[in-house]
Parts: sequence; C-alpha cells; structure tokens
Amino acid sequence: MNAWIIAIVTVIVAPFIGGLLAGIDRRITARLQGRFGPPILQPFYDFFKLLGKAKIASSRLQLIWIYGYLVFMVTALLFLVLKLDLLLLVFVIGFAGVSFALGGFSSKSPYSHIGANRELMQMLAYEPVLLLFALGVFAVNGSFLISEIFNNPTPLLARLWPIFIAVLLILTIKLRKSPFDLATSHHGHQELIKGIMTEYSGPYYALIQLTEWYEYVLLLGLVYIFWANPWWAGLIVAAVAYILELLIDNITARMTVGWAVKFVWSVGLVLCVLNLIYFWLLPIKGVS
Amino acid sequence: MDYNWMMAVAILLPVVAAILVYILRQYHVRGIIVVVTAIALIINSILFLLKGSQTFTPANAQLWDTVVTVLDYLILLFYIYAGISLKNWLVLIFALTQIVPLAYFEFGMGGKAALEAINPTFVVDHLAIVMTLVISIVGSLICIWAIRYMYDHEHHNHIEKSRQPRFFFWLVLFLGAMNGLVFANNLIYLYFFWEVTTLVCFQLIAHDLNKEAVNNAARALWMNSIGGTGLILAMIYLFVKVGPDSLSVAKIISGGIAPALLLLPVALLCFTGMIKAAQMPFQTWLLGAMVAPTPVSALLHSSTMVKAGVYLVVRLAPAFAGTKLGIMVALVGAFTFMAASGLAISQTTGKRVLAYSTIANLGLIIACAGINTPLSISAAILLIIFHAVSKGLMFLCAGTIEHIVWSREIEDMEGLAAKAPMTTAITTIGVLSMFLPPFGMLLAKWLALEASFTIPLAGILFVIASAATIVFWAKWLGRLMQVLPKLGSKIESLSLSYTVPLWVLVLGIFGLGLGVGPVYEGLVKNAVANVIASGQALTTSATGIVVNGVTAVSSNPSFAVGSYPVWPLFVVFAVGILIPFIFVAVKPGELRPVYLCGEQVEGADADEWYSTADAKTKVQLGGFYFKGALSEAALNPWTYTLSIALLVILFGVVFLAIGGAI
Repeated sequence: MNAWIIAIVTVIVAPFIGGLLAGIDRRITARLQGRFGPPILQPFYDFFKLLGKAKIASSRLQLIWIYGYLVFMVTALLFLVLKLDLLLLVFVIGFAGVSFALGGFSSKSPYSHIGANRELMQMLAYEPVLLLFALGVFAVNGSFLISEIFNNPTPLLARLWPIFIAVLLILTIKLRKSPFDLATSHHGHQELIKGIMTEYSGPYYALIQLTEWYEYVLLLGLVYIFWANPWWAGLIVAAVAYILELLIDNITARMTVGWAVKFVWSVGLVLCVLNLIYFWLLPIKGVS
Repeated sequence: MDYNWMMAVAILLPVVAAILVYILRQYHVRGIIVVVTAIALIINSILFLLKGSQTFTPANAQLWDTVVTVLDYLILLFYIYAGISLKNWLVLIFALTQIVPLAYFEFGMGGKAALEAINPTFVVDHLAIVMTLVISIVGSLICIWAIRYMYDHEHHNHIEKSRQPRFFFWLVLFLGAMNGLVFANNLIYLYFFWEVTTLVCFQLIAHDLNKEAVNNAARALWMNSIGGTGLILAMIYLFVKVGPDSLSVAKIISGGIAPALLLLPVALLCFTGMIKAAQMPFQTWLLGAMVAPTPVSALLHSSTMVKAGVYLVVRLAPAFAGTKLGIMVALVGAFTFMAASGLAISQTTGKRVLAYSTIANLGLIIACAGINTPLSISAAILLIIFHAVSKGLMFLCAGTIEHIVWSREIEDMEGLAAKAPMTTAITTIGVLSMFLPPFGMLLAKWLALEASFTIPLAGILFVIASAATIVFWAKWLGRLMQVLPKLGSKIESLSLSYTVPLWVLVLGIFGLGLGVGPVYEGLVKNAVANVIASGQALTTSATGIVVNGVTAVSSNPSFAVGSYPVWPLFVVFAVGILIPFIFVAVKPGELRPVYLCGEQVEGADADEWYSTADAKTKVQLGGFYFKGALSEAALNPWTYTLSIALLVILFGVVFLAIGGAI
C-alpha cells in the first residue's frame, strides 16, 4: 500500500514543483535578459486562466493524443518514484513523445505538421542516449531497476560521467531549450509559429502545460539519480543542471533540426558508447 | 486424436485443400474450402499444443522417402527450366549448384541410405509447437482475408480469366510446407520443405506475371537457392566428417558432436536461415516480394517463409553456444536490425516500410539467437509470436487501405482517419503494437535489450535501431491522422472476409499482450528449454514479468535485473488512449480551421488560403522522408559493405577455429 501512497502524493505534488520550476525559469531568464520578469507563480496564474477559456480544437483526434501524452508522462514519473525498471521507463517516455507527435499530426496544419516532424527527429536524437543511459546503469549495477541505484553507495556520476554529459544534452532537448527549441518555440518564429502546439488552445493547451510540468520533474529526477546517495546530493546536482540549462538557453541560438540530430549523435552518442566500452573492457559487477 | 491424423492434417490437408481450390473454381466454393481448412489447421495446432512434445515417423517411411526424393528433383528440375526459360542465369547456376551436389551426395556417396536410416523423421518439440501455432493461426487468418482481397484485386485490375485458383493453390500449400519444415528432423525432409517454401514463394511473387513481378520472383528464387546450396553442403560435410547418423537436427543440437566439427555445417545452416530471413545483404528478395498481392506479403512476412529462416537459427542456437560464431550471428542480426530500421525512414511506400520493419525485426530475432542466453532466447521466441500477429495485422491493414485509396503510397493515405475511421483505428493499434509499451513486441524488444549486455556492440546497435523505429512508424501513422476540421465521418463498410481476420488479430494483440505471463509459462518456457536447458530467465507474476537476477544474467541472486508490469501498463494504455478515444467529444461549434496566418478561405473545414493576388490555394502537406541522408542510394553502399564484411568475418572465425582445432 505504501507504493499507492507514494504514487498518489507524486501525482498531486509533482505539478506544483514543475510549475514552480517553470516560474523560476521565467524569472531567471528575464534577469539574464535584463528584464524584471513575472512573479514566480505566474505559470499557475496562466494555467488557471487557460482552463477557463473556450474549448476549441481543429480535430477530435488531436485531443485524444494529448491525453495519451499526459497519462504516459505521469506513468514514466511513477516508474521513477516507485523505483522500477529504468529501461522500460525510457520506452514509456517514448510513448508519451510519440503520442504528442501524433497529436501534432492530427490536423491538416502546416505548422503543427512541421513541428511534429521535428519532434520525431528530436526523439531520434535523444532516444538512443536515454536507452544507452539505462545500459550504462546496468553495467554499473547489474540491474536495470532504479531501486538498485539507490542501494548502491557509490554515485552513478563517478562511473557514468560521460553519459551524464550526454544526458544533460538530452535535458536541453526535452526542456525545449535553445539550441534545440525546434519542435515548438517559446517565442513566435515565422517558420514555426508555435510548431507542434500551434493547434492547441485554452484548456487543451493547459493540459500540455501540465504534462510539461510532470516532465520537468521526471527529467530532473533522472538527473537526480546520478547521485542518489546521500539524498541531498542528487538535489544539488539536479539544481545545478537546471540552472546550467537556463544559461545555455540564453547564450545559444536555435539551430536546425538536422544539426541537432548530428550534434547529439556525434557528441552524446559517442560519449555514451565510449563509456560503455570502458565497462566492456572491465568485468561487469555482479555478472557471471 | 490419433497422432498420424494430426500430422496428416498439419502437412497433407493443405495439399489436398490446395488441389481442391485449384479444381473447383467458383468463388464461394473456394471460400468454403479455405475457411474449413483454416479452422481445421487452427484446431489441429491447438491439439499439438495439448499433446506436447512427440516424435513421429510415418508408417511406410520408405514410400514417403521415395516421394520426397522424387519431388526434390522435380522441384530442382523446375528451377533449371525456370532459369532457362526466363534467361536468368543466376537462377540456373544456383539450381545446378543444388542438383549436382545433391545427386552426387545421395547416389554417389551413399547419402541416400544414411538419410533413410535417420529416425525419427519428425520431432515435434515445444519450439516446433510454437511455430505451428503461429503458422496455423496467423497463416490461416491471412488466407481467409485473401479470399475477398483477391476477388477485389482481379476486379479492380479487370482480369478476364481468373487466376485465383492458381493463387490459392500455392497460398494454402504454403501452410503445409511450413508445418513440415518446422517438424522435420531428418535433414533431407528439412531440405525438401525448405525447397517447397522457396518454390511457393517464387510462384506467389510472380503471380501477377508482369515484368517486375517475374524479375523479383526470380531474384527470390536464386537468393534462396544459395541458401538451399548451403543446406546441401552442410549435409555433405556432416556426412563425411561426422558420420552418417549426424544428418538429423536433433543430433546436431544434442551436444554429442565435437564443437569444432560442427562449426562449419552450423555456420552454413545459419547462413541458409539468414538468407531466408532476408538478412543483409540478402534483403532485396523480400523487398522485391512486395510486388505480389498483399496476402502474399502478409504470409511471407508474418507467419511463413522468413519465420522459417529465424526458426532455423534459433533451433541451431545450442550448436553454436559459447563460440565466436554465436557472436558473429548476433552482430549480423543486430546490424540488419539497425540498417533496416534506418532505411525504413526514407521509404515512401507503405508496404516497403513494412518490409524493412520485418527485415529489422528478423535481425533482432537472429541477434537474440546469437546472444544465446535463456533471456535472449525467451525474447526471440516471444518476438516470433508477437511479430507474427502484429505484422500480419499490419499487412492486412495495408491491403485494406490499398483497396480503399487504391494506392500503396503513404502520401495518398493522408487523412485516412476521415475516410475510413475503422481501418485507421485498427491500423493505429497495429502500428502502436509494433514498438510501444504495453504491447508484446515492445516487451520482447525490452527483453532483448536487457539480454544484450553479453555482446554490448549488439546492444548499441539495438538502441539506434529502436530510435529509428519510432520515427518511421510515427510519421506514417501521423499522415493517416491529418484530417480537416469536420465531424461525423461515417464508419466504412467492409467485407466480412476483411473484418473478421482484422478483428481477430486485434484481439490477438490484446489477448497475447495481456496474457504474456500465461503464454510464457505455458508455451514459451518449454520452447526455450528446447533450445537452452539451463536456467529460467523470467518469473511471471499476476501483474507482470520479472527478469531473474540469478539465472538469467547476474550472479548476484539478491535482486532482479528488470521488471515489466504488464497489467498496470495496459491499464495506463486504456486510461491514456482508449478511454479518451471513446469519450472525448467535440461539439460542432468548437471546431476551428487550422492556423494559416489569418489567410484562410472562410468555412470551418476549408483547407484553402489566399495566396498571392488572393488566389485560392490548397494547403498541401508532404511527409518527411530524409531522402538525402537516409535513402537507399545514400546508405546502401555502407550497408552492403558492412554486412558482407560481417558475413566474411563470420565464416572467417569459423575457418580459423577449425584450423586451430586441427
């Protein structure tokens, strides 16, 4: 029953943390750009305002898929807090991503069509890195279970630091930060408008915001497990990583999606593979 | 039921039914014969499951041996005839490389007597039972679906004289040949059924008799003839080096033969299997096979033909356990998995995407056989089952869509969700079941990845392939969804011959997915034990599957390697996709046209906008295919070079090991 309580608490608390993170993001970004910025709670004000707006849509299908996006993202987060299988968690995130992309495809809209295709390209970039992250965890622990990460007194970071760098790259993509802010964009760009999210508005757009908040917590949770023992060390790692992402967002320009795939594969993937080769040359712990 | 009868129904009933559909040429009679045969085969395959592991030698073995020998040479003579009449020298050459050594072996070296002495003729173990279930159930459903498809096919193409009797003759015969193949223990019976599948495949691909069909059929024939040659050479090597009693599958995998002597014949047999499973660089025959009517593709890709190839490699896994040959088999498979998944992204034809996806998944199965642990073999067998059901469904969907939009191009399927909501919904389930949780394919792929640690390079290739898989499926599915803001699309009406197999397969996907625990316990576990006796990789619980730490991979017994909560994930799927699908409603007033920078023509469902000089212009979307980076022209030089190099290394390590042993 303990697991049920953890799950329910997570589902309730995570959006508040995610929303706060989004608020902090806006504030810090504003300061970096020499503006004052909105209150920290602004994302929540926006959220409730969106909920009150008229329901409009350009197809029924696109609404179905955003529920899939939300539900699978929450599931992935539950996998993390219940300390289940990391590899499967990555596949569950994959469903969330595919669901979101299909939502973007679900109307005959040029902008969301481009955005959805870019979303898929971004998945092509980050999926292998996340899967290799799971294989790396196995190389260290002899298990894909997240619970074993918490049982291991040595932090993952000590032995998986190249993969950690790769995961930071993925974090930039998943947080939709520059230079990878390609499938949608925080600021209107002529070629994209709001990309994959163009056709969503009002309460449905609020659902996407909510999903993104869950996603923020999930992603920083994945960074957290790089230093899971003692419990506070991971928080510091996650906080530093988040601030770093905000900095990167503000000092880089958006690049093209082709560049993004090439860059992540040639840097992130190579780092992961090198890390794994290192373990291959060493005997794997706990494996006969 | 008597075992004699069960064997007869499995192998000979399709032959009888094939002859009947050839003679009785009416549409309805044909339909009844096909349906009755299908039902008989399905019931029979379940009887095999209930009977469990058995061996079987036919009563008048001498007679059957003679029949098999005569038919063998008739088939090979037909290949020679085909080679000459088509002026295809490759067909001719590889027919001769089969018939000459085979004749010399059987009659010149005394191989015939050795082969006749092999006992039992058939071994029906649990792995074979899994295969016969797949062949009989999925294969039969495809045959039923084909009844209406072929009618429409000929109707649409205005064919005067129906060639359907001929088509169904080969189609139904295929199922019998496949059953024989998976049961065969005597190598000459294996060879015989192997050749029958090659022959049937040739006839079915060539069915439409246009130039492309005949050329592609010839290519399938000569490539698979190379495989047949490999099988004959393996027989000769075994006969000469090991002894006359080694010409049976059971003997090869029994562990009773010195590993060094086995390496070369097993490598040859794996090579044969890889060709049939369309592994790179032999993938082109399967890609070419898609010119055939869609039931043929469905049958070739899901339950027959290519599954024979992976079956043989999985079957032989004990014979290459712990050798470098095993590692090379894993790498050939893993490389094909990656390369085919990448190439699938650039394909614009639906069936070609499916073909590449099949090649990729067969690669994964072969890689699992090469990894050769209880975990990976479990993954391989689960993949065979789940892939048959999902891919069978996908091809039937592709065919049904083809008969709605009369095109195989993905671009022509834009907005199918509005035209044919039911077909789109079924296709969506089919596509999602290929690569996403909670479905069985993903479970098996997840197992394969967890098993890949012994050969990390294979794991890395798997990972890249998985990412590419997401892209090509999702963007295809995305094209089907691109609808105008309109409500009230009518559910299309389709023939029962279409809808029954489609829905049965959809039920199969959910049933097998939810019931993966019982399926593993009742079916797969025993089949894995037929391949690899030591250790049990998985533990099933009420809600999911746990990968055992102690026996599967890890020497640390205190924790599991992984866990997969099957039922909870299906609940998540229901909550996240199915319930919204049923309950999400949009009122007419809530629909808005898509954003076109405020330039759209009035009307909620208009897809036009005012272009230069206020000219009305239709919005046109095109899928992304990345022809520059990922087309066959761009990638094939690399894939051919690397895959041929891998095969050369595969045989290289075998020869080195043999040299070392001497």
